[in-house]
Amino acid sequence: MKRSETAKRIADELAECGVKLVASLPDNWISELITHLEGDARFTHVPVNREESAIGLCAGAYMGGQGSVALMGASGFMTCIYAITKINYSYEVPLLLLMTLRGSFGDHHKHHISNGLYLQPVLQAIDLPYTIVSRADELGAIGRAYRHSRTFSRPTAVLLARELLR
Amino acid sequence: MKYVDCFRFLAGRRTDELVITSAGNSGQAWWAATRDSERSFYLDASMSLSTMFASGLAAALPKKRIWAFMGDGAFCMNPGMLMVERQMNLPNLTHFLVSNRAYGATSNARLPNSTSNDYAAIARGCGLTRIHGFTNLAELERGFDAAVGKSATGHTMVVLEVEPFSDEEQKLEQPPFDGPEMKYRFARAIERETGVSVIGYRL
Repeated sequence: MKRSETAKRIADELAECGVKLVASLPDNWISELITHLEGDARFTHVPVNREESAIGLCAGAYMGGQGSVALMGASGFMTCIYAITKINYSYEVPLLLLMTLRGSFGDHHKHHISNGLYLQPVLQAIDLPYTIVSRADELGAIGRAYRHSRTFSRPTAVLLARELLR
Repeated sequence: MKYVDCFRFLAGRRTDELVITSAGNSGQAWWAATRDSERSFYLDASMSLSTMFASGLAAALPKKRIWAFMGDGAFCMNPGMLMVERQMNLPNLTHFLVSNRAYGATSNARLPNSTSNDYAAIARGCGLTRIHGFTNLAELERGFDAAVGKSATGHTMVVLEVEPFSDEEQKLEQPPFDGPEMKYRFARAIERETGVSVIGYRL
């Protein structure tokens, strides 16, 4: 599947959940997805200055009854542990995180070795439920993760693999 | 201006605004001034994110006016928030930057570059246009309506220069809510006032 088609499928999944606000900070793997979401009238896209700002924005949107998603790279997520554990865990605020599975097989960038080593262990350490999506026919996981975050009253994450975003 | 006097004045002029307080002393001061437990969200666990939280809320509820307090300690950790705020340009958001020139919640520890930071200039540099500053209560009383009153619309930043908490004020009660109770009180108030569904089920 072409990246543009994958981006459209992800957008459709998000819209189906009721997501209106997309807060993002880019990663090369999701640049096309971000461009697509920016131009999709179903969403308000807010580029943020740092990933923690996306966590704050999405928490506020939730308190106003609006669906949202925080979209970021793996490195960005690693900067958000404070915001997530403070806001989302302390107040039990749901959140859908969409992020890249950087540092996994097929990622040739050496500066993502740290993400390959520590991204999933960090998610596990803070008991943040996540699933990995490698193929387009697994994209229904986005809706399941969104709905589970509402049931769970905490964040859930979908990690987008290289094979999906290639 | 005394921190709590400033907040008591603002509380007295508040009408139907929803309020978000920040990590630091603003939650203590707002709780002391209002004892509001439903239409204020004490976002104590959030260094530098109260106005981002408020922006998400303001975007979701465009008919509600939102006040967000942020200490200058929190502001210094994430001044780029103003770029996001300016970009969103939410007409129903007022950002109160409570400048006590110290890390108030940590015994008034030194803030970097504290005496030189020009918060209004930083805001102007990010493109904000509705910026007001008040250094004493008399100025605030005179300028409140033009800056923040009901007829004043547009994304607004108000820099409040206040004295750091005294040792006695540091003992002011913290808002006595666990996080989930805070969430439910605030969410239920919003559901009652606006009709939107926040929690996803009604009592």
